[in-house]
Amino acid sequence: MKTFVCIKYVPDTSEAEVKLNPDGLSVDDSRFSFDINDADNYAVEESVLIKEAQGGEVTVLSIGPKKSDVMIRMAMAKGCDKATRVEDDRIATHDPLMVARVLAGGIKGQEFDLVMTGCMANDDWHMATGVALAEELGVNHASMVNKLELQDGKVKVHRELEGGLLEVVELDLPAVLTIQTGINEPRYAPIRGIRQAQKKELNVVSLDDLGIDPAEVGTDASQVVLEKLYIPEVESAAEFIEGEPEEKAEKLASILHKGGLL
Amino acid sequence: MLMSSEIQTFTEKYDLLGCIQCGRCTGGCPVTVRANLNVRQFVNDAYDEDKLEELARLAEIWDCTACHTCAVRCPKGLKPLEVLIGLRTMIVESGKVEPTVRDALQSVLLEGNPWEKSRATRLDWMEDLDVKIADPDEPVENLFFVCCTIAYDPRVRAIARNMVELLNKAGVDYAFLPEDESCCGSEVFTLGEEGLFEMQVEDSTEFLNEYQAGRIVTLSPHCFTTYKTHYPDLKSPVIHYTQLLVELLNNGKLTWKGELPKKIVYHDPCYLGKQGNIYDEPRELLKSIPGVELLEFERRRERSLCCEGGGGKMWVESESKKERLSETRIKDARALGADVVAVACPFCVLTLEDSMKGLGLEEEMRVVEIMELLGELMEK
Ligand SMILES: Cc1cc2nc3c(=O)[nH]c(=O)nc-3n(C[C@H](O)[C@H](O)[C@H](O)COP(=O)(O)OP(=O)(O)OC[C@H]3O[C@@H](n4cnc5c(N)ncnc54)[C@H](O)[C@@H]3O)c2cc1C
Ligand code: SF4
Ligand code: SF4
Repeated sequence: MKTFVCIKYVPDTSEAEVKLNPDGLSVDDSRFSFDINDADNYAVEESVLIKEAQGGEVTVLSIGPKKSDVMIRMAMAKGCDKATRVEDDRIATHDPLMVARVLAGGIKGQEFDLVMTGCMANDDWHMATGVALAEELGVNHASMVNKLELQDGKVKVHRELEGGLLEVVELDLPAVLTIQTGINEPRYAPIRGIRQAQKKELNVVSLDDLGIDPAEVGTDASQVVLEKLYIPEVESAAEFIEGEPEEKAEKLASILHKGGLL
Repeated sequence: MLMSSEIQTFTEKYDLLGCIQCGRCTGGCPVTVRANLNVRQFVNDAYDEDKLEELARLAEIWDCTACHTCAVRCPKGLKPLEVLIGLRTMIVESGKVEPTVRDALQSVLLEGNPWEKSRATRLDWMEDLDVKIADPDEPVENLFFVCCTIAYDPRVRAIARNMVELLNKAGVDYAFLPEDESCCGSEVFTLGEEGLFEMQVEDSTEFLNEYQAGRIVTLSPHCFTTYKTHYPDLKSPVIHYTQLLVELLNNGKLTWKGELPKKIVYHDPCYLGKQGNIYDEPRELLKSIPGVELLEFERRRERSLCCEGGGGKMWVESESKKERLSETRIKDARALGADVVAVACPFCVLTLEDSMKGLGLEEEMRVVEIMELLGELMEK
C-alpha cells in the first residue's frame, strides 16, 4: 500500500486574541502556538496503522515554511517513511483549489493507492482541499471519513454526514479520503523517535522542482480574491421570523432582497 | 514491540539487586489505599527482563504520584518509584500513551510548557506590573524562575504577581527570566519521557548558565527539586522562594498590615518537604503574620499526605473511585477546625481546592498558596 498524507501546520487561535496585520489581508500570528492541523494528525495515524497492518510506504506532503519541519519529523517519528515539503511564496494559499493543484503536483507521476488529508483545516475551515485534490488527481474520493476498511483494490469507508447520519461507501483505489477526527487515537512522537527520524528523507522543493507553472497556482490563476479580513463585530441583534413555512420563506427572501444579498 | 534503550541495564540502573524486600516502600505508599499499586512487587519483578513488557502494560504504573515516600523510607537508599518511571518510559517510547499525556509532552517540546499554551504568551502574567527582566550582561542576586503552571493558570498566577510587588517593595535585587524560559521538566521526568527530559536538562542548563545569577529562586517546589536533583551543571545555587522570604523577614524587610485572626494548617508539599527538605520556612512565614494560629496535621513533614498532584497525575486520571487523598486531607483540616489550608505549591492548591469545593466547604474554608495570603497582607 502506497499512501500519501497531506498535513498542514496551523496556529492555535484559541489561546491568544486574534489580531490582523496592518495590510488587512493577513492575521498576526506572532502570539499563537503552531502544530499539525488536528484532523491531519488523525490522517497520519491512520496511514501508519495501515502500514503497520499490511506494510507499504507512507509519504508526508506539506506546503509550508521551514519552521513546520518539526511537525513533519514528528509524523516520521510515528512511522511515516519520507516527506516532501513545498516552500514557495508564489502559491495563492488562500484558495484551496490552488493548494490542491500544488499537492497534486507533489503526487503525480508517482505510484499511489491512497491519499489522505484532514477533512478541514483549523485555520481557514474551507473543507474543500481534499475534495479538490481528488479532482486534480482524477481519482475517487470520500470526505469526512471516520472509519475505513481496506479490501482488495477497494476501500470501504464510513462517512459522517450532517445531523449525525452515517453513509457507508465503497471506492475503487486509488482514492483520496478526507479524514475526520476521532477515527483513531493519534500516538505520541517520543523525542528519541524524532531524533531517529532526522535520518529519514525530507525533500524541500519549489514549484519549479515539481514542474508546476507558477502562473497556474498563483493569485492570477485563482478565482478567489482576498479583499479584506476583519474581526466580526459582536452584535446581539436577532430577528425571529414567525409564521407558516411559506410566509417565513417569503419574509426571509424579502429581507435578503432588501439587504442587497439576493 | 515495546522498546527501552535501557532494557539491558534496568537492574543496574535502579539497583534492583540492592532491594531486601523489606516492604517499607509499599508500607508507606499513600496511593495503596485507593489504587492497586504495590511498588515493592515491581522492584522485585523488574529483575526479570523478560517480564518488563508485561509489567509496563499494567495500568497501576500510572497511579504513582512521585511523592517519594518510598524513596524516603527505603533503608537501602533505592528509589522504588523510578522503577515505575522506567516502565512508563517503555510505554512513552512506543507512543501509546493517554492523549492528555501525549499533548502535554508535545507541548513541552514545541512551546516549552505542558499546558498547550503559546510560548509568546508566557509573560502575560506580568501585565500592568513593573517587573525587572533579566539580562545576561547584568549580574543579579536573585534570578526568578516562574513555573509553567504559575505563568499560565489564572488560579495561581497571583503567586508570581504578588512576588513582584513584594520584591519591589522590599527593594530586593532581582530579575525574572524572559519568555525563552522553558519548563523544568519535573513532570516530563515522572511521565517517563526520558529523551525529552535529557534534552530539557541540556538546553535549560545552557540557558540558565548564560545569566550571572547569585542564585536561582523558584516559585514551585517541583522546579526547585528538579533543578536541585537533576541539573548537576547549573552554575548558580537554587533556592525556593520561602527561603528568600525568611531571609527578608529576619532582616525586617517584610511587614504585614493588620491582623489575620485565623486558624491556618500548613500542608507540606511532597516536592518541598520530602524531596526538598524544606519544612520550617513556610511555617515561619505563616507564624510571622499577627493573629495567625498555626495548626498541624497529624501526618506532617516527612509523613505528609500526598495531594496526588505530582507524578504527571495532572494528565492521568485515576481509575479508582475511592476517596481522593486531597479529599482526605481537606476532611482532616476540617476536623482540626482550620479556616485556611496553606500550601507552598501550585499543584497542591489546584488539587486541594478542587476537593474542598467537591466537599461543598467553600463557605467555611479556604485553600491558599502562601504567596496569595502574603499578597493580601502586604503593605503596598
Ligand atoms: C462548515 C461545513 C460543514 C460540513 N459538514 C459536513 C458533514 O458533517 N458531513 C459531510 O459529509 N459533509 C460536510 N460538509 C461538506 C464537505 O466538507 C464536502 O464539501 C462535501 O462532503 C463534498 O463531498 P460530497 O461527496 O458530499 O459532495 P458532491 O455532492 O459529490 O459534490 C462534489 C463537489 O460539489 C461541491 N460541494 C459539495 N458540497 C459542498 C459544500 N458543502 N460547500 C461547497 N461546495 C460543495 C464541491 O465542489 C465538491 O467537490 C461540510 C461543509 C462545510 C463547509
Ligand atoms: S523499601 Fe527499598 S529495600 Fe525495602 S522493599 Fe522497598 S525497594 Fe526494597
Ligand atoms: S512515589 Fe509515592 S506514590 Fe509512587 S510508589 Fe513511591 S510512595 Fe507510592
